[in-house]
Amino acid sequence: MSIEPFGDEALLITLGQALDPRINRRVHALAARVRRDAAGGRGPWGTPVAGHASLLVPYDPARASPAQATERLARLLDTAWEEGLEEPRPGRLIELSVRYGGDAGPDLLAVADRTGLTRAQVVEVHASVEYDVFLLGFTPGFAYLGILLRHPLVLSRREEPRTRVPAGSVAIAGEQTAVYPGATPGGWHLIGRTDAVMWDAQRDPPALLAPGDHVRFVPLAP
Amino acid sequence: MLEVIEPGLFSTIQDEGRPGAADLGVPRGGACDPLALAVMRELVDCREPSTVALEMTLVGPELVARETCLVGLTGADLGCQLLPEGRAVPPGTTFVVHPGTTLRFGEARDGARGYLSLAGGISCERVLGSASTCLVGGFGGFGGRRLATGDVLRPVRPRLMERDGSLWPGRISGVVGGDAPRVVRVVPGPHAEALAADAGALLGSTDWQVSPSSDRMGLRLDGPPIPMVDGGELLSLGMVWGAIQMPPGGQPIVLLADHQTVGGYPVIAVAITVDRPILGQLRAGDRVRFRAVTLDEARRLRLVAGAVLRDAARAFRASAEAHRADKREEPRPT
Repeated sequence: MSIEPFGDEALLITLGQALDPRINRRVHALAARVRRDAAGGRGPWGTPVAGHASLLVPYDPARASPAQATERLARLLDTAWEEGLEEPRPGRLIELSVRYGGDAGPDLLAVADRTGLTRAQVVEVHASVEYDVFLLGFTPGFAYLGILLRHPLVLSRREEPRTRVPAGSVAIAGEQTAVYPGATPGGWHLIGRTDAVMWDAQRDPPALLAPGDHVRFVPLAP
Repeated sequence: MLEVIEPGLFSTIQDEGRPGAADLGVPRGGACDPLALAVMRELVDCREPSTVALEMTLVGPELVARETCLVGLTGADLGCQLLPEGRAVPPGTTFVVHPGTTLRFGEARDGARGYLSLAGGISCERVLGSASTCLVGGFGGFGGRRLATGDVLRPVRPRLMERDGSLWPGRISGVVGGDAPRVVRVVPGPHAEALAADAGALLGSTDWQVSPSSDRMGLRLDGPPIPMVDGGELLSLGMVWGAIQMPPGGQPIVLLADHQTVGGYPVIAVAITVDRPILGQLRAGDRVRFRAVTLDEARRLRLVAGAVLRDAARAFRASAEAHRADKREEPRPT
Protein backbone atom coordinates (compact mmCIF):
# COMPACT_ATOMS: atom_id res chain seq x y z
CA MET A 1 0.00 0.00 0.00
CA SER A 2 1.22 3.51 -0.76
CA ILE A 3 0.15 7.11 -0.29
CA GLU A 4 1.45 9.63 -2.79
CA PRO A 5 0.55 13.11 -4.01
CA PHE A 6 -1.75 13.39 -7.03
CA GLY A 7 -1.28 17.07 -7.91
CA ASP A 8 -1.30 19.79 -5.26
CA GLU A 9 -4.74 19.14 -3.78
CA ALA A 10 -5.16 15.35 -3.70
CA LEU A 11 -3.49 12.19 -2.44
CA LEU A 12 -3.69 8.75 -4.01
CA ILE A 13 -3.84 5.59 -1.92
CA THR A 14 -2.93 2.50 -3.93
CA LEU A 15 -3.94 -0.83 -2.40
CA GLY A 16 -3.00 -3.19 -5.19
CA GLN A 17 -2.65 -3.72 -8.92
CA ALA A 18 -5.24 -6.45 -9.40
CA LEU A 19 -8.95 -6.49 -10.13
CA ASP A 20 -9.86 -8.19 -6.87
CA PRO A 21 -13.21 -7.84 -5.06
CA ARG A 22 -11.49 -8.13 -1.65
CA ILE A 23 -9.13 -5.24 -2.41
CA ASN A 24 -12.03 -3.22 -3.78
CA ARG A 25 -14.06 -3.77 -0.60
CA ARG A 26 -11.08 -2.41 1.36
CA VAL A 27 -11.06 0.67 -0.90
CA HIS A 28 -14.68 1.42 0.02
CA ALA A 29 -14.10 0.77 3.71
CA LEU A 30 -11.26 3.31 3.59
CA ALA A 31 -13.47 5.77 1.68
CA ALA A 32 -16.02 5.50 4.49
CA ARG A 33 -13.26 6.28 7.04
CA VAL A 34 -12.17 9.35 5.08
CA ARG A 35 -15.76 10.60 4.80
CA ARG A 36 -16.20 10.12 8.56
CA ASP A 37 -13.00 12.06 9.27
CA ALA A 38 -14.20 14.86 6.98
CA ALA A 39 -17.65 15.01 8.58
CA GLY A 40 -18.02 18.03 10.82
CA GLY A 41 -15.06 19.64 9.09
CA ARG A 42 -12.41 17.78 11.11
CA GLY A 43 -10.32 16.35 8.30
CA PRO A 44 -9.38 18.58 5.33
CA TRP A 45 -10.87 16.04 2.89
CA GLY A 46 -13.08 16.43 -0.15
CA THR A 47 -15.18 13.58 -1.56
CA PRO A 48 -12.96 10.50 -1.98
CA VAL A 49 -13.09 8.83 -5.41
CA ALA A 50 -12.73 5.05 -5.49
CA GLY A 51 -10.80 3.27 -8.21
CA HIS A 52 -10.71 -0.49 -8.55
CA ALA A 53 -7.78 -0.82 -6.15
CA SER A 54 -7.07 2.80 -5.22
CA LEU A 55 -8.64 5.78 -3.52
CA LEU A 56 -8.21 9.38 -4.61
CA VAL A 57 -8.50 11.67 -1.58
CA PRO A 58 -8.80 15.40 -2.37
CA TYR A 59 -7.83 17.84 0.38
CA ASP A 60 -8.03 21.58 0.92
CA PRO A 61 -4.50 23.01 0.58
CA ALA A 62 -5.61 26.05 2.60
CA ARG A 63 -6.12 23.72 5.58
CA ALA A 64 -3.22 21.32 5.19
CA SER A 65 0.20 21.20 3.56
CA PRO A 66 0.97 18.13 1.43
CA ALA A 67 3.02 16.75 4.32
CA GLN A 68 0.28 17.39 6.89
CA ALA A 69 -2.39 15.83 4.68
CA THR A 70 -0.20 12.79 4.00
CA GLU A 71 0.52 12.37 7.70
CA ARG A 72 -3.12 12.62 8.71
CA LEU A 73 -4.17 10.17 6.01
CA ALA A 74 -1.41 7.72 7.01
CA ARG A 75 -2.59 7.87 10.65
CA LEU A 76 -6.16 7.28 9.50
CA LEU A 77 -5.06 4.20 7.58
CA ASP A 78 -2.98 2.89 10.50
CA THR A 79 -5.97 3.16 12.81
CA ALA A 80 -8.19 1.50 10.24
CA TRP A 81 -5.72 -1.35 9.95
CA GLU A 82 -5.39 -1.79 13.71
CA GLU A 83 -9.12 -1.71 14.33
CA GLY A 84 -9.77 -3.90 11.34
CA LEU A 85 -11.56 -2.61 8.29
CA GLU A 86 -15.24 -3.08 8.82
CA GLU A 87 -17.21 -4.47 5.91
CA PRO A 88 -18.99 -1.73 3.98
CA ARG A 89 -22.76 -1.54 4.43
CA PRO A 90 -24.49 -4.75 3.40
CA GLY A 91 -25.27 -4.22 -0.27
CA ARG A 92 -28.60 -4.78 -1.90
CA LEU A 93 -29.15 -7.41 -4.59
CA ILE A 94 -30.51 -5.67 -7.66
CA GLU A 95 -31.92 -7.64 -10.57
CA LEU A 96 -31.87 -6.10 -14.02
CA SER A 97 -34.03 -7.55 -16.78
CA VAL A 98 -32.16 -7.74 -20.06
CA ARG A 99 -33.13 -8.33 -23.66
CA TYR A 100 -30.05 -10.05 -25.09
CA GLY A 101 -29.01 -9.98 -28.74
CA GLY A 102 -30.73 -8.58 -31.81
CA ASP A 103 -30.99 -4.79 -31.98
CA ALA A 104 -30.63 -4.67 -28.19
CA GLY A 105 -27.26 -6.43 -28.25
CA PRO A 106 -25.61 -5.92 -31.64
CA ASP A 107 -22.30 -7.50 -30.56
CA LEU A 108 -23.76 -10.73 -29.12
CA LEU A 109 -23.06 -12.71 -32.28
CA ALA A 110 -19.48 -11.42 -32.57
CA VAL A 111 -18.87 -12.20 -28.88
CA ALA A 112 -20.19 -15.73 -29.44
CA ASP A 113 -17.93 -16.15 -32.48
CA ARG A 114 -14.85 -14.89 -30.67
CA THR A 115 -15.42 -17.00 -27.55
CA GLY A 116 -16.48 -20.16 -29.39
CA LEU A 117 -19.78 -20.22 -27.55
CA THR A 118 -23.31 -20.17 -28.85
CA ARG A 119 -25.33 -17.00 -28.27
CA ALA A 120 -27.42 -18.86 -25.70
CA GLN A 121 -24.28 -19.90 -23.85
CA VAL A 122 -22.96 -16.32 -23.78
CA VAL A 123 -26.26 -15.21 -22.24
CA GLU A 124 -26.21 -18.10 -19.80
CA VAL A 125 -22.71 -17.28 -18.60
CA HIS A 126 -23.38 -13.55 -18.34
CA ALA A 127 -26.60 -14.09 -16.40
CA SER A 128 -25.13 -16.74 -14.09
CA VAL A 129 -22.82 -14.42 -12.18
CA GLU A 130 -23.74 -12.30 -9.18
CA TYR A 131 -21.66 -9.18 -9.76
CA ASP A 132 -20.12 -6.73 -7.30
CA VAL A 133 -20.38 -3.00 -7.94
CA PHE A 134 -16.71 -1.96 -7.94
CA LEU A 135 -17.14 1.74 -8.46
CA LEU A 136 -19.10 4.45 -10.26
CA GLY A 137 -17.12 6.35 -12.88
CA PHE A 138 -16.71 7.22 -16.56
CA THR A 139 -20.14 8.90 -16.79
CA PRO A 140 -22.83 9.68 -14.18
CA GLY A 141 -24.12 6.42 -12.74
CA PHE A 142 -21.88 4.13 -14.83
CA ALA A 143 -21.12 1.16 -12.56
CA TYR A 144 -18.12 -1.09 -13.15
CA LEU A 145 -19.36 -4.60 -12.35
CA GLY A 146 -17.28 -7.72 -11.90
CA ILE A 147 -16.03 -10.15 -12.02
CA LEU A 148 -16.10 -12.39 -15.06
CA LEU A 149 -12.78 -13.97 -14.10
CA ARG A 150 -12.58 -17.69 -14.84
CA HIS A 151 -15.33 -17.19 -17.40
CA PRO A 152 -14.77 -17.50 -21.12
CA LEU A 153 -16.20 -14.03 -21.88
CA VAL A 154 -13.01 -12.09 -21.23
CA LEU A 155 -12.50 -9.96 -24.35
CA SER A 156 -10.52 -6.78 -24.82
CA ARG A 157 -12.45 -3.67 -25.82
CA ARG A 158 -13.64 -3.03 -29.35
CA GLU A 159 -10.90 -1.64 -31.54
CA GLU A 160 -13.20 1.08 -32.82
CA PRO A 161 -15.26 2.59 -29.99
CA ARG A 162 -18.81 3.55 -30.96
CA THR A 163 -19.46 7.29 -30.95
CA ARG A 164 -22.91 6.70 -29.50
CA VAL A 165 -24.16 3.77 -27.45
CA PRO A 166 -27.90 3.64 -26.64
CA ALA A 167 -28.87 4.21 -22.99
CA GLY A 168 -29.43 0.95 -21.10
CA SER A 169 -26.95 -1.01 -23.22
CA VAL A 170 -25.52 -3.99 -21.33
CA ALA A 171 -21.89 -4.41 -22.24
CA ILE A 172 -18.80 -6.47 -21.45
CA ALA A 173 -15.07 -5.75 -21.66
CA GLY A 174 -12.20 -7.56 -20.00
CA GLU A 175 -13.36 -9.12 -16.77
CA GLN A 176 -16.13 -6.58 -16.28
CA THR A 177 -19.65 -5.79 -17.35
CA ALA A 178 -21.69 -2.59 -17.16
CA VAL A 179 -24.86 -0.81 -18.21
CA TYR A 180 -24.47 2.48 -20.09
CA PRO A 181 -26.70 4.94 -18.17
CA GLY A 182 -27.07 7.42 -21.03
CA ALA A 183 -26.32 7.69 -24.72
CA THR A 184 -22.55 8.22 -24.73
CA PRO A 185 -19.53 7.03 -26.68
CA GLY A 186 -18.48 3.53 -25.66
CA GLY A 187 -15.87 0.90 -26.45
CA TRP A 188 -17.38 -2.15 -24.75
CA HIS A 189 -19.17 -5.04 -26.50
CA LEU A 190 -22.94 -4.56 -26.45
CA ILE A 191 -24.76 -7.81 -25.72
CA GLY A 192 -28.16 -6.61 -24.52
CA ARG A 193 -30.26 -3.79 -23.18
CA THR A 194 -32.24 -3.07 -20.02
CA ASP A 195 -35.07 -0.62 -19.37
CA ALA A 196 -33.78 0.05 -15.84
CA VAL A 197 -33.02 3.74 -15.30
CA MET A 198 -29.40 3.67 -14.13
CA TRP A 199 -29.23 7.44 -13.60
CA ASP A 200 -31.90 10.06 -12.93
CA ALA A 201 -30.58 13.45 -11.85
CA GLN A 202 -33.94 14.22 -10.18
CA ARG A 203 -33.93 10.99 -8.12
CA ASP A 204 -32.32 10.69 -4.69
CA PRO A 205 -29.90 9.03 -4.92
CA PRO A 206 -29.61 9.63 -8.67
CA ALA A 207 -27.56 6.47 -9.34
CA LEU A 208 -29.44 3.15 -9.25
CA LEU A 209 -26.33 1.26 -8.08
CA ALA A 210 -23.82 1.98 -5.33
CA PRO A 211 -20.54 0.30 -4.41
CA GLY A 212 -21.25 -2.74 -2.26
CA ASP A 213 -24.43 -3.60 -4.13
CA HIS A 214 -24.73 -6.85 -6.06
CA VAL A 215 -26.25 -7.18 -9.50
CA ARG A 216 -27.80 -10.07 -11.34
CA PHE A 217 -28.93 -9.91 -14.96
CA VAL A 218 -32.18 -11.70 -15.75
CA PRO A 219 -32.73 -12.64 -19.41
CA LEU A 220 -36.11 -11.66 -20.80
CA ALA A 221 -37.72 -14.13 -23.15
CA PRO A 222 -36.78 -13.14 -26.73
CA MET B 1 -33.03 39.68 -18.26
CA LEU B 2 -31.32 38.81 -21.51
CA GLU B 3 -32.82 36.81 -24.36
CA VAL B 4 -30.58 34.72 -26.58
CA ILE B 5 -30.74 35.71 -30.26
CA GLU B 6 -27.63 33.73 -31.32
CA PRO B 7 -26.04 31.24 -28.89
CA GLY B 8 -22.46 31.62 -30.15
CA LEU B 9 -20.13 28.73 -30.99
CA PHE B 10 -20.38 26.86 -27.70
CA SER B 11 -21.86 28.54 -24.64
CA THR B 12 -22.80 26.74 -21.42
CA ILE B 13 -23.91 27.67 -17.92
CA GLN B 14 -21.11 27.02 -15.41
CA ASP B 15 -20.36 27.78 -11.78
CA GLU B 16 -17.82 26.34 -9.33
CA GLY B 17 -18.86 22.82 -10.35
CA ARG B 18 -19.76 19.76 -8.27
CA PRO B 19 -16.53 18.14 -7.00
CA GLY B 20 -18.58 16.44 -4.27
CA ALA B 21 -20.34 14.17 -6.78
CA ALA B 22 -17.25 12.57 -8.33
CA ASP B 23 -17.97 9.31 -6.50
CA LEU B 24 -21.20 9.04 -8.54
CA GLY B 25 -19.26 9.26 -11.80
CA VAL B 26 -20.29 12.90 -12.28
CA PRO B 27 -17.60 15.13 -13.82
CA ARG B 28 -16.83 18.06 -11.54
CA GLY B 29 -17.58 20.58 -14.31
CA GLY B 30 -17.50 24.29 -13.59
CA ALA B 31 -15.83 27.22 -15.31
CA CYS B 32 -12.67 26.15 -17.14
CA ASP B 33 -11.11 29.45 -16.05
CA PRO B 34 -11.70 29.50 -12.28
CA LEU B 35 -9.90 32.85 -11.91
CA ALA B 36 -12.39 34.52 -14.28
CA LEU B 37 -15.24 33.03 -12.21
CA ALA B 38 -13.75 34.16 -8.90
CA VAL B 39 -13.40 37.72 -10.26
CA MET B 40 -17.00 37.54 -11.53
CA ARG B 41 -18.25 36.68 -8.05
CA GLU B 42 -16.81 39.96 -6.77
CA LEU B 43 -17.71 42.05 -9.82
CA VAL B 44 -21.44 41.34 -9.64
CA ASP B 45 -21.36 41.03 -5.83
CA CYS B 46 -22.77 37.50 -6.11
CA ARG B 47 -24.59 36.40 -2.95
CA GLU B 48 -25.97 33.15 -4.30
CA PRO B 49 -24.46 29.82 -3.13
CA SER B 50 -22.54 29.54 -6.39
CA THR B 51 -21.42 31.99 -9.05
CA VAL B 52 -23.57 31.13 -12.06
CA ALA B 53 -22.13 32.48 -15.31
CA LEU B 54 -22.37 31.89 -19.04
CA GLU B 55 -19.12 30.43 -20.35
CA MET B 56 -18.69 31.53 -23.98
CA THR B 57 -16.14 29.72 -26.14
CA LEU B 58 -14.15 31.40 -28.96
CA VAL B 59 -17.18 33.01 -30.62
CA GLY B 60 -19.69 34.72 -28.35
CA PRO B 61 -23.47 35.03 -28.53
CA GLU B 62 -25.86 37.82 -29.38
CA LEU B 63 -28.22 38.72 -26.56
CA VAL B 64 -30.93 41.34 -26.25
CA ALA B 65 -32.02 42.96 -22.98
CA ARG B 66 -35.74 42.65 -22.23
CA GLU B 67 -35.52 44.14 -18.74
CA THR B 68 -32.96 46.44 -17.16
CA CYS B 69 -30.14 44.48 -15.59
CA LEU B 70 -26.55 44.78 -14.48
CA VAL B 71 -24.14 42.65 -16.50
CA GLY B 72 -20.62 41.57 -15.54
CA LEU B 73 -17.94 40.36 -17.95
CA THR B 74 -14.67 38.53 -17.19
CA GLY B 75 -12.34 36.07 -18.90
CA ALA B 76 -11.16 36.34 -22.49
CA ASP B 77 -12.16 39.43 -24.50
CA LEU B 78 -14.85 38.35 -26.97
CA GLY B 79 -15.32 41.86 -28.30
CA CYS B 80 -18.65 42.73 -26.64
CA GLN B 81 -20.47 45.64 -28.28
CA LEU B 82 -23.62 47.35 -27.06
CA LEU B 83 -25.99 48.18 -29.94
CA PRO B 84 -27.39 50.41 -31.29
CA GLU B 85 -25.02 52.86 -29.58
CA GLY B 86 -21.97 50.87 -30.68
CA ARG B 87 -20.07 51.10 -27.42
CA ALA B 88 -17.45 48.39 -26.84
CA VAL B 89 -17.30 46.86 -23.34
CA PRO B 90 -14.12 45.17 -22.18
CA PRO B 91 -14.13 42.25 -19.73
CA GLY B 92 -13.34 43.06 -16.11
CA THR B 93 -16.19 45.49 -15.62
CA THR B 94 -19.94 45.78 -15.08
CA PHE B 95 -22.53 47.81 -16.95
CA VAL B 96 -26.27 48.37 -16.96
CA VAL B 97 -28.31 47.47 -20.02
CA HIS B 98 -31.85 48.67 -20.67
CA PRO B 99 -34.65 46.99 -22.65
CA GLY B 100 -33.85 46.90 -26.35
CA THR B 101 -30.08 47.04 -25.98
CA THR B 102 -28.27 44.29 -27.89
CA LEU B 103 -25.06 42.69 -26.60
CA ARG B 104 -23.18 41.43 -29.62
CA PHE B 105 -20.06 39.37 -29.01
CA GLY B 106 -17.47 38.55 -31.64
CA GLU B 107 -14.45 36.26 -31.72
CA ALA B 108 -11.97 35.89 -28.89
CA ARG B 109 -8.94 38.04 -29.68
CA ASP B 110 -6.80 36.00 -27.34
CA GLY B 111 -7.65 33.14 -25.00
CA ALA B 112 -10.65 30.86 -25.43
CA ARG B 113 -13.35 31.53 -22.86
CA GLY B 114 -15.27 34.64 -21.82
CA TYR B 115 -17.78 34.81 -18.96
CA LEU B 116 -21.00 36.78 -18.52
CA SER B 117 -23.16 37.01 -15.45
CA LEU B 118 -25.89 39.20 -13.95
CA ALA B 119 -26.29 40.94 -10.62
CA GLY B 120 -28.66 38.62 -8.79
CA GLY B 121 -27.36 35.47 -10.50
CA ILE B 122 -28.83 33.48 -13.40
CA SER B 123 -31.91 31.36 -12.85
CA CYS B 124 -31.37 27.76 -14.05
CA GLU B 125 -31.47 24.10 -13.05
CA ARG B 126 -29.34 23.16 -10.02
CA VAL B 127 -28.43 19.49 -9.60
CA LEU B 128 -26.24 18.01 -6.86
CA GLY B 129 -25.42 21.44 -5.47
CA SER B 130 -24.36 23.08 -8.73
CA ALA B 131 -25.81 24.86 -11.74
CA SER B 132 -23.00 23.71 -14.04
CA THR B 133 -24.04 22.12 -17.32
CA CYS B 134 -23.20 18.41 -17.30
CA LEU B 135 -23.26 17.65 -21.03
CA VAL B 136 -22.57 13.92 -20.69
CA GLY B 137 -25.32 13.51 -18.07
CA GLY B 138 -27.74 15.93 -19.71
CA PHE B 139 -28.51 17.91 -16.56
CA GLY B 140 -27.73 21.23 -14.89
CA GLY B 141 -27.80 24.75 -16.33
CA PHE B 142 -30.28 24.83 -19.20
CA GLY B 143 -31.40 21.20 -19.27
CA GLY B 144 -27.83 19.91 -19.45
CA ARG B 145 -27.31 21.33 -22.93
CA ARG B 146 -25.49 24.22 -24.52
CA LEU B 147 -27.16 27.61 -24.88
CA ALA B 148 -29.76 27.88 -27.65
CA THR B 149 -31.67 30.66 -29.40
CA GLY B 150 -34.68 31.66 -27.31
CA ASP B 151 -33.11 30.83 -23.94
CA VAL B 152 -33.47 33.57 -21.34
CA LEU B 153 -30.85 34.61 -18.80
CA ARG B 154 -32.97 35.79 -15.88
CA PRO B 155 -31.62 36.87 -12.48
CA VAL B 156 -32.69 34.72 -9.52
CA ARG B 157 -33.20 37.87 -7.45
CA PRO B 158 -32.99 40.93 -9.73
CA ARG B 159 -30.74 43.50 -8.15
CA LEU B 160 -29.37 46.74 -9.52
CA MET B 161 -26.27 48.05 -7.85
CA GLU B 162 -24.56 51.29 -8.32
CA ARG B 163 -21.30 50.41 -9.94
CA ASP B 164 -19.20 53.06 -11.62
CA GLY B 165 -18.06 50.74 -14.36
CA SER B 166 -14.49 50.83 -13.09
CA LEU B 167 -12.17 48.08 -14.24
CA TRP B 168 -11.14 45.22 -11.97
CA PRO B 169 -7.75 46.15 -10.51
CA GLY B 170 -6.01 42.87 -11.31
CA ARG B 171 -5.97 39.84 -13.59
CA ILE B 172 -9.40 38.75 -14.84
CA SER B 173 -8.46 35.50 -16.58
CA GLY B 174 -5.78 32.98 -17.41
CA VAL B 175 -5.24 34.62 -20.80
CA VAL B 176 -1.54 35.10 -21.48
CA GLY B 177 -0.74 37.56 -24.26
CA GLY B 178 2.17 37.49 -26.69
CA ASP B 179 3.59 34.83 -28.97
CA ALA B 180 5.80 32.96 -26.50
CA PRO B 181 4.71 29.46 -25.46
CA ARG B 182 2.36 29.47 -22.45
CA VAL B 183 4.13 28.09 -19.38
CA VAL B 184 2.16 25.65 -17.24
CA ARG B 185 3.77 24.51 -14.01
CA VAL B 186 3.52 20.84 -13.08
CA VAL B 187 4.37 18.43 -10.29
CA PRO B 188 5.29 14.79 -10.99
CA GLY B 189 2.31 12.46 -11.44
CA PRO B 190 1.72 9.12 -9.70
CA HIS B 191 2.99 7.22 -12.76
CA ALA B 192 6.03 9.37 -13.57
CA GLU B 193 8.15 6.23 -13.29
CA ALA B 194 6.41 4.85 -16.38
CA LEU B 195 8.33 7.40 -18.45
CA ALA B 196 11.45 6.19 -20.23
CA ALA B 197 14.75 7.53 -18.90
CA ASP B 198 15.03 10.67 -21.04
CA ALA B 199 11.28 11.20 -21.51
CA GLY B 200 10.94 13.59 -18.58
CA ALA B 201 13.42 15.98 -20.19
CA LEU B 202 11.62 15.64 -23.54
CA LEU B 203 8.29 16.41 -21.89
CA GLY B 204 9.75 19.57 -20.34
CA SER B 205 11.74 20.82 -23.33
CA THR B 206 9.01 20.40 -25.95
CA ASP B 207 6.76 23.19 -27.17
CA TRP B 208 3.47 21.29 -27.24
CA GLN B 209 0.78 22.43 -29.61
CA VAL B 210 -2.87 22.39 -28.58
CA SER B 211 -4.84 20.17 -30.96
CA PRO B 212 -8.21 21.26 -32.44
CA SER B 213 -9.79 18.10 -30.98
CA SER B 214 -9.57 19.60 -27.48
CA ASP B 215 -12.72 20.35 -25.50
CA ARG B 216 -13.91 20.96 -21.92
CA MET B 217 -12.90 17.39 -21.02
CA GLY B 218 -9.28 17.81 -21.97
CA LEU B 219 -6.59 19.41 -24.09
CA ARG B 220 -4.95 17.09 -26.60
CA LEU B 221 -1.37 18.05 -27.30
CA ASP B 222 0.63 17.48 -30.47
CA GLY B 223 4.36 16.97 -30.24
CA PRO B 224 7.03 14.27 -30.39
CA PRO B 225 5.89 10.87 -29.07
CA ILE B 226 6.99 10.45 -25.46
CA PRO B 227 8.66 7.08 -24.90
CA MET B 228 7.16 5.06 -22.04
CA VAL B 229 8.70 2.12 -20.23
CA ASP B 230 5.29 0.78 -19.38
CA GLY B 231 2.48 2.39 -21.35
CA GLY B 232 -0.06 -0.30 -20.56
CA GLU B 233 -3.55 0.48 -19.37
CA LEU B 234 -4.06 0.56 -15.62
CA LEU B 235 -6.96 -0.35 -13.39
CA SER B 236 -9.30 2.66 -13.37
CA LEU B 237 -8.31 5.23 -10.78
CA GLY B 238 -9.71 8.60 -9.74
CA MET B 239 -8.54 11.54 -11.86
CA VAL B 240 -7.95 15.22 -11.17
CA TRP B 241 -8.27 18.43 -13.21
CA GLY B 242 -4.80 19.10 -14.60
CA ALA B 243 -3.67 15.47 -14.76
CA ILE B 244 -1.46 14.85 -17.81
CA GLN B 245 -2.44 11.43 -19.13
CA MET B 246 -0.33 9.47 -21.56
CA PRO B 247 -2.47 7.23 -23.79
CA PRO B 248 -0.78 4.68 -26.06
CA GLY B 249 0.90 6.65 -28.85
CA GLY B 250 2.49 9.11 -26.47
CA GLN B 251 0.38 12.21 -27.23
CA PRO B 252 -0.48 13.74 -23.85
CA ILE B 253 -3.97 14.77 -22.77
CA VAL B 254 -4.32 17.44 -20.07
CA LEU B 255 -7.60 16.94 -18.22
CA LEU B 256 -9.89 19.98 -17.80
CA ALA B 257 -13.00 20.67 -15.72
CA ASP B 258 -15.29 18.14 -17.50
CA HIS B 259 -12.79 15.27 -17.25
CA GLN B 260 -14.05 11.77 -16.57
CA THR B 261 -13.95 10.96 -12.86
CA VAL B 262 -11.77 7.88 -13.40
CA GLY B 263 -9.26 6.91 -16.05
CA GLY B 264 -6.88 4.13 -16.95
CA TYR B 265 -3.96 5.89 -18.65
CA PRO B 266 -0.70 6.62 -16.80
CA VAL B 267 -0.54 10.12 -15.31
CA ILE B 268 3.00 11.38 -15.76
CA ALA B 269 2.56 14.90 -14.37
CA VAL B 270 -0.15 17.12 -12.93
CA ALA B 271 -0.60 20.84 -13.67
CA ILE B 272 -0.77 22.81 -10.45
CA THR B 273 -4.13 24.25 -9.43
CA VAL B 274 -3.04 27.89 -9.72
CA ASP B 275 -2.36 27.34 -13.45
CA ARG B 276 -5.83 25.90 -14.23
CA PRO B 277 -6.95 29.32 -15.55
CA ILE B 278 -4.09 29.24 -18.09
CA LEU B 279 -5.14 25.75 -19.26
CA GLY B 280 -8.74 26.91 -19.59
CA GLN B 281 -7.76 29.74 -21.92
CA LEU B 282 -5.60 27.70 -24.32
CA ARG B 283 -6.93 27.38 -27.86
CA ALA B 284 -6.07 25.19 -30.84
CA GLY B 285 -2.64 26.07 -32.20
CA ASP B 286 -1.37 27.65 -28.95
CA ARG B 287 2.01 26.38 -27.84
CA VAL B 288 2.47 25.28 -24.23
CA ARG B 289 5.54 24.35 -22.24
CA PHE B 290 5.60 22.48 -18.93
CA ARG B 291 7.87 23.53 -16.09
CA ALA B 292 8.41 21.33 -13.04
CA VAL B 293 7.90 22.81 -9.56
CA THR B 294 7.79 21.23 -6.12
CA LEU B 295 4.58 20.62 -4.18
CA ASP B 296 5.61 23.20 -1.60
CA GLU B 297 6.16 25.75 -4.35
CA ALA B 298 2.74 24.88 -5.80
CA ARG B 299 1.15 25.53 -2.40
CA ARG B 300 3.03 28.81 -1.94
CA LEU B 301 1.91 30.00 -5.41
CA ARG B 302 -1.67 29.09 -4.58
CA LEU B 303 -1.62 31.00 -1.30
CA VAL B 304 -0.08 34.04 -3.05
CA ALA B 305 -2.72 33.91 -5.82
CA GLY B 306 -5.46 33.79 -3.17
CA ALA B 307 -4.00 36.83 -1.38
CA VAL B 308 -3.66 38.78 -4.65
CA LEU B 309 -7.30 38.09 -5.48
CA ARG B 310 -8.47 39.17 -2.02
CA ASP B 311 -6.45 42.42 -2.27
CA ALA B 312 -7.95 43.20 -5.67
CA ALA B 313 -11.44 42.50 -4.31
CA ARG B 314 -10.83 44.85 -1.38
CA ALA B 315 -9.61 47.63 -3.69
CA PHE B 316 -12.57 47.12 -6.01
CA ARG B 317 -15.10 47.22 -3.17
CA ALA B 318 -13.47 50.36 -1.75
CA SER B 319 -13.75 52.08 -5.13
CA ALA B 320 -17.39 51.04 -5.43
CA GLU B 321 -18.07 52.39 -1.90
CA ALA B 322 -16.43 55.70 -2.75
CA HIS B 323 -18.57 55.92 -5.88
CA ARG B 324 -21.74 55.35 -3.87
CA ALA B 325 -20.67 57.99 -1.32
CA ASP B 326 -20.07 60.50 -4.15
CA LYS B 327 -23.52 59.79 -5.51
CA ARG B 328 -25.13 60.40 -2.14
CA GLU B 329 -23.54 63.83 -1.97
CA GLU B 330 -24.82 64.88 -5.36
CA PRO B 331 -27.82 67.21 -5.19
CA ARG B 332 -31.05 65.42 -5.96
CA PRO B 333 -32.69 66.53 -9.16
CA THR B 334 -35.89 68.39 -8.56
